[in-house]
Amino acid sequence: MGIFIQQIVNSLSVGSVIILVGLGVTIIFGLTGIVNFAHGEFVMVGGMVTWVLVSSGANFFVALLAGGVAVGALGLLLERTLFRFTLKRPMNGFIVSLGLVVLLQHIVIRALNTNQKSILDPMGDVVWQVGSVRIVAMRLVVVVITAIVVAVTFFTIQRSRYGMALRASLADRETASLMGIPIRRYIAAVFAYGSFLAGLGGALLIALFPVTAFLGTTITVRAFAVALIGGLGNVTGCVVAGIILGLINGFSAGYGLPQWTDAYSFGLMILILLVRPQGLLSGTEGPSVG
Amino acid sequence: MSLRISGLQKTFDGVVALAGVDIDVTLDKILGIVGPNGSGKTTLVNVVTGTFAPTAGHVTWEGVDITGKPASAIARLGIARSFQQAMTFSGLTVEENVQVAWDHRSRRRRMRSLWTSPDELLELVGLSDARSSIAGALPFGNARQLGIAICLATLPKLLFLDEPGAGLSDAELEPLTELIKQLHSMGIGVCIIDHNMNMISALCHRLVVLDFGTKIAEGAPSAVLNDPKVREVYLGEDL
Amino acid sequence: MHVVTRPTKLGKRIRFSRGAAGAAFVIVALLAAPWITHSYRFLSIAISAGIATITLYGLAILFGQTGLLSMAQAAFMGVGAYTATILARAIGLGFWSSIPFAMIASAMVAGVLGVFSLRVISAQYFIIVTFAFGALFSIIMINGGSFTGAATGLDVGPIGSVLGINLNKIRNFYYLTVFFVLASILVTYLISISPYGRTLRAIRENELLARSVAIVTDFHKIAVFMLSGLFAGLAGVLQAHFLQHISPALYETFPSVYLALMVMIGGPRMLYGPLAGAIIIYFLPEVLHLDPVDARIAYGAALVMVIMLLPSGLIGGFIDLYRRATARARQRYGEDPE
Repeated sequence: MGIFIQQIVNSLSVGSVIILVGLGVTIIFGLTGIVNFAHGEFVMVGGMVTWVLVSSGANFFVALLAGGVAVGALGLLLERTLFRFTLKRPMNGFIVSLGLVVLLQHIVIRALNTNQKSILDPMGDVVWQVGSVRIVAMRLVVVVITAIVVAVTFFTIQRSRYGMALRASLADRETASLMGIPIRRYIAAVFAYGSFLAGLGGALLIALFPVTAFLGTTITVRAFAVALIGGLGNVTGCVVAGIILGLINGFSAGYGLPQWTDAYSFGLMILILLVRPQGLLSGTEGPSVG
Repeated sequence: MSLRISGLQKTFDGVVALAGVDIDVTLDKILGIVGPNGSGKTTLVNVVTGTFAPTAGHVTWEGVDITGKPASAIARLGIARSFQQAMTFSGLTVEENVQVAWDHRSRRRRMRSLWTSPDELLELVGLSDARSSIAGALPFGNARQLGIAICLATLPKLLFLDEPGAGLSDAELEPLTELIKQLHSMGIGVCIIDHNMNMISALCHRLVVLDFGTKIAEGAPSAVLNDPKVREVYLGEDL
Repeated sequence: MHVVTRPTKLGKRIRFSRGAAGAAFVIVALLAAPWITHSYRFLSIAISAGIATITLYGLAILFGQTGLLSMAQAAFMGVGAYTATILARAIGLGFWSSIPFAMIASAMVAGVLGVFSLRVISAQYFIIVTFAFGALFSIIMINGGSFTGAATGLDVGPIGSVLGINLNKIRNFYYLTVFFVLASILVTYLISISPYGRTLRAIRENELLARSVAIVTDFHKIAVFMLSGLFAGLAGVLQAHFLQHISPALYETFPSVYLALMVMIGGPRMLYGPLAGAIIIYFLPEVLHLDPVDARIAYGAALVMVIMLLPSGLIGGFIDLYRRATARARQRYGEDPE
């Protein structure tokens, strides 16, 4: 039993990062309809920015924020220059993101290299012992930070009046633009924020594990899985889905089948898409175009 | 040979679009379905021709229950419909548009068909000269004509025309009206959904009036248009 | 776009002879290549490009004609490759006999995936499902133990001979590849000019309208997905015998992304688009002495630019330029635009 708890505790931190990254996907895809398959690459860039800063002596938490903001800015730039022109033809936006996958991965390889990048534990390798379970302090910090960001996101997007207006106007763009609501700016804002979340996720990841330039592809599908299973645009759903998947991963690792863990996420996602496309907690199916 | 719609209901996420409609359509009389915006006219066509499945009720065609069948099956059975938005295969040429529908026309009806090639259909709607144009570049009126040609290429027995006159100038309405009369004289059943009362009164032998998803009047145009219930629903509109 | 009058006989003859000339040029160029350069490296790259071309034509029919983008094409190549290799190891199946098995296996897998995913969900979800499948396939292969060779993969035996020609010699393997490439182009051409091709394009242009003219779109979408699997399966077997080793890494997400990139850059709706895309991607770095990393940066950027500016791919872009330059001459001969 202790092994399972240990496994679950271990996978909590990675699971919460996946929730964070999935949150970015769910609000971007769910609210603006933009499918950005380079989202994983955004995560990787966030991790790399943090690594560069920490390696140059910056404080981790400053670098964490910088990583998030840098990727948020990148997202804003890409939305303004590329994605905004593909809103009428979502397929083009998707293909553009494929190009970005290749582009971002290899720009990072050119700028840095293909080696693993890692940083020293920002919490100084502190470990707490609770009964038979070892809790690495940094992992707890990751979970706490994620929880705070998710809560903030939940309250701004799901609960606040601003958030509700945002979601309503993005769901019915025609009416909203006729009412003079700056839809384009909302879309840009959502995309930038979702990208910020990705960058933040990457920065948190590098505090836990070494990161390579190829991190992106492994993250993207898992993030989409969490977003789709939970229901697009639904913050709570994303959290629930992330928890479910995290538990499954924990159990499968506990049973000694760690290589299959991703298979469960993908399998479950495919299943959900076919059986209940709006996700477990009912999200949008992506807003109608135009 | 007819279409029987009985007790048809359709609800979208709590919004009732059709609240139980009964209509009989025969091929010998041109039927008009009218009603204000939101009365459920297009939903009725969508449900009958298979774009949506009804929430309740039945549709029977030539004695066979076709309720809930997919659009492709219903087209194969001989019911065709044109769309309000003048839908075409926009990236293909005009002749390819008609050709592709022609390729999939019913085997059974091909023997008794009045037309022997898609060219005749292009001729009929007056688009022979534009055969090599890209459909997406057609002016609106021509796109409408193409839409009708595409429908006809499926060799239908019954044709639903969804707001065929909308967006057309008076000059363009003339040939359209003539075309519809011609199709009717060829033995094709026609059912027109529209607002345009001039066209409706000129063409239709029978009218059905819908309001909020229910039928509020039915009969010959002169009778229906003088019905106080109908006038009330069209308050202020020029009948 | 402008309205054009009926094509004259002369116009039709010009179009036909242009098409035939184009085909002749391509065939001659492909066949003559090894005589122009005897370099092993050149032939090796050419074979890789050729294998990619075969699978790209499958993707072109699926995406270019029908409008469905699949991120599972590399995974389907893997299905073919693993089927052939495992059968070879288990029952000693030779190259030629393994081809139909591989192609059918890939088509079957595509069929099952298609039945589940093509009827209900939108095009964007379909892409995500194929992406997920690609990732899933890798995981399954890695966890297949000694049956699938796990992460290290399996060795593939030598290809053997046909009609006395030793296919292990690289030049002969090259010609084998060219044979399959030409076959792929021919099949794609026949499909695109046939009523079936027209049906696929109709589904691409307006699926709702297609259904209302009695086209059973679900059936056709699944069928064309399986067809793309056939191409991938064939390419997978060929690649397995060329590399003489297969491993899950060959069929992961990135190769699928890269294939999509190739077909977009070349032009998914043009007859020689996939061929051009593969040649450009494989040979440009050689010709320009580009580092592979720099080359990929260029490709990523190129894809973004092509999609934003030249939706019909590079080849389409060139053809547009050519058309605009020769518009007057063509009007005289009454040619109609494609």
